[in-house]
Amino acid sequence: MIISADNLGIGIDQVPYQRFEYLKYPVLIGEKEYRESETYSASWLLERFVKEKITAKSSSLSRAEMTDLIEKNVNNYDLIIQVVMGSNMSAATFNIAEEVKEKFKDLIPVINIDSRQVVGGIGAVLLRLIDIIKTTDDDETIKKQAGELVTNTFSYYVTPDLNYLNRGGRIGKAKALLGSVLRVLPVIGLMGDDPEGEIVPLGQGRTYKQVNSLIINSIREKMNENKAEDITVAIISGDESNRDAIDSLKKEFESSIPCKKLVYGKLHLVEAIYMGPGGYGISVCMK
Amino acid sequence: MINEIAEIRNAFDNISKYFWRHKEYVNRLNVFPVPDGDTGLNIALTIQGALANTPDNLPDNILPGEYLKLISDNMLINSRGCSGVILSLFFEGMTEVMASNDFSKENILKAIENGCLAAYHGTDNPREGTMLTLMSEFKKKFSEIMPAKENPVEIIIDCIPHLKDVLDKTPDMLPVLKQAGVVDSGGAGFLILLEGLEREFNSRKVPETLPLFAALKINSVVKKLLVKRSLRKKRSITGTLVQNLGAGNISNARLHNIVHNVQQYLKNRTHNHSNRYPAREALIKNTKEFESSWNPDISYRYCTELIVSSDNDIDSQALKEQIMNYGDSLIISGKGKTYKIHIHTNKPESVIKDISLFGNIIFRKVDDMKKQHRNFISYDSIEYEKEQSVFCIVSGEGFKKILESLGADYVYDYGKRKPSVKKLVDLLNSLKSKNIIAAPDDGDILMSLKYAASLCKANVFIVESKNAISLISMLMGKTDEINKTNFLFRDRINNIKHFMVSKAAKESSVDGVAIKKGDYFIISGGKIFLSGKELINVAAEAINKLLIDESIITVYKGLHVKGNRLAAGLKIKFPGLDVEEYYGGQTQYHYYITLE
Repeated sequence: MIISADNLGIGIDQVPYQRFEYLKYPVLIGEKEYRESETYSASWLLERFVKEKITAKSSSLSRAEMTDLIEKNVNNYDLIIQVVMGSNMSAATFNIAEEVKEKFKDLIPVINIDSRQVVGGIGAVLLRLIDIIKTTDDDETIKKQAGELVTNTFSYYVTPDLNYLNRGGRIGKAKALLGSVLRVLPVIGLMGDDPEGEIVPLGQGRTYKQVNSLIINSIREKMNENKAEDITVAIISGDESNRDAIDSLKKEFESSIPCKKLVYGKLHLVEAIYMGPGGYGISVCMK
Repeated sequence: MINEIAEIRNAFDNISKYFWRHKEYVNRLNVFPVPDGDTGLNIALTIQGALANTPDNLPDNILPGEYLKLISDNMLINSRGCSGVILSLFFEGMTEVMASNDFSKENILKAIENGCLAAYHGTDNPREGTMLTLMSEFKKKFSEIMPAKENPVEIIIDCIPHLKDVLDKTPDMLPVLKQAGVVDSGGAGFLILLEGLEREFNSRKVPETLPLFAALKINSVVKKLLVKRSLRKKRSITGTLVQNLGAGNISNARLHNIVHNVQQYLKNRTHNHSNRYPAREALIKNTKEFESSWNPDISYRYCTELIVSSDNDIDSQALKEQIMNYGDSLIISGKGKTYKIHIHTNKPESVIKDISLFGNIIFRKVDDMKKQHRNFISYDSIEYEKEQSVFCIVSGEGFKKILESLGADYVYDYGKRKPSVKKLVDLLNSLKSKNIIAAPDDGDILMSLKYAASLCKANVFIVESKNAISLISMLMGKTDEINKTNFLFRDRINNIKHFMVSKAAKESSVDGVAIKKGDYFIISGGKIFLSGKELINVAAEAINKLLIDESIITVYKGLHVKGNRLAAGLKIKFPGLDVEEYYGGQTQYHYYITLE
């Protein structure tokens, strides 16, 4: 069984695995807590950001919910794999996953995979992991191959307003891109081969065309660096109101990068907090 | 040597003043019809910087060749713009040869030849029709006139008419000069300096200076005369020669005294038998001292300067005793808790170590005098605080802020005066960074930057950017991985489509475009391609010609632009595009306009 959360950059219905469960991140607007639903979606939050100038934040996954989920399934499976967001991005969530693993250690083996990723990147690791477990059920082999997936997964995001990421305390080294005198579109990333697992600045542009080219060039460079001939899986997702820019990235990616599987994903409520209005990105796995 | 050094200094000061009076003429010889050419200013500041940084309180025994070398070292380090650097290289090459203190016409020719070589070798893509051509013609003409004249300064002056002809022909060699209807500004500057030399030479009322090689020869002859037995004869050819030397014409005070005393000695020797030998010995000693003062051999190689500071009073006597045996020319100045020490030594490290026993060394500088290594082979240590930095050199406060906000670690706003090599070295060193990516907004700064890079302590990767937009383009791709991506910086500088708008200060025809005085004209890709009376119309026409599928027009206003007339006009003319306006503050162009 695989467990993850609603920050995959893809819809839950896009996960091609029967034995998959997921938890929802709590989203706080003022004192009130929200969870992803048909009403409370990413587009709902993004619209409120623009119209009402609200601020939102997320908290870590609930320990109780995670415990309940495993408890409920402990007798049905012989292995649980949790694909967790980057431990440097949310140490609390990863620690909870580790605590729960410890709690169930005598009942069922739990593998916690630190994806070193967020939006889209976790989804890419998850989709490739599903491919792996179709070929093996050996714990150690899964751990080893999952580790390789993590270091070969890279995410690139266009975040027109970095303040959303900054307010959430997740800006990392991309802080250098804050405060530009010019109106710019920052490009940031999460590089799986970076053990620090921090958001890094990749550049900036003035137009979506420029930043999309920058992303494509960065992916190409990474492929050269890793001697990767193609991308095994890629996920594109973002604010639907910026569809032209997202489509343009998809088009440029499809025409210039060999890719076995491209998924046009979707943002969830919790992901919208950090991407902000107009934000989008692409995550690629080269393993 | 003091008199000769003072005369050289005085001559340089006068030539420098002469050039300042003509710098505006040189500035106006700009190939583009913009009002702010700065070749004249760059040359003037190069010379002024050299003189200002050449100290007055030099050792008494410094020789003219060494002094000229010192000036040339300071000229290179203070050079600005291409013309300033080329001039400095030429002078550096000359003084390398003149350091031998041989000022014969033959050696001066060698010096000019070496100067030309240095200037050509030090210039990227040397082009004819520039200052280099005048230097090369100077060499040829000097060689041609040399058999007919003795005095090298006279030969130089006789070269001037020919060089004027050559300058007039520079437009035939460089089409861009012809189009602009001007002669080469750097060449004109070089000629003005020679004219300054001519003026200085003609204004001298003092007797002709004895060439140094001749002074040495006279001293040698006098010494031989005193030592040889022939002196015992009542009459000898050499004795007669020395007695008839016009001592009044010898401007070198020391040699003047030697010759004068020997003449007195020869005149009176028959009357002073009792004092004859001691007097002769004293005179021989004088000639030997004079000779040795010209000997360029340096016993102690490193000129070492330190400042030591302590929380308690420093015992200067103990300090002196600690280091006095390491060399010579020891000077200890200061009092109380801080002392400055100067010493010539072969063991600078031992000196530094011993002095550190007395307190903290807050400054140290070690110059290899033998190599005359531009005073920069020094131990003045830099403690690196950063692994890497991006350093931009730009004109305009607005651009400074923009570039800083885009991630440049340091931006130097030079306003209207381009930075000297020395300034750039200081700035590069002040970054305290092991690796520096340095990029200017003007091609004219590149040469200075290259020399600065060779003199500073960091590894400097120069991005050959030529305008402020290139710097923005470069920084858009900045990441933290400079070592991996420094070549990407270079590759990115041309990523933003742009052009410049300026106003013609004079009527001209450039690149096939006729421009009237007061017209606005557009420069794109280094060429003028449009001009017209109405600013908005000219800019809009340029945009229409260059626009393909861009969506943002950005206007960067220059220092002297008031209001937002252009941006507002473009918004009306291009309603489907975003028009943004920022303050650049540049002095060279009224506007930079980008299409993205």
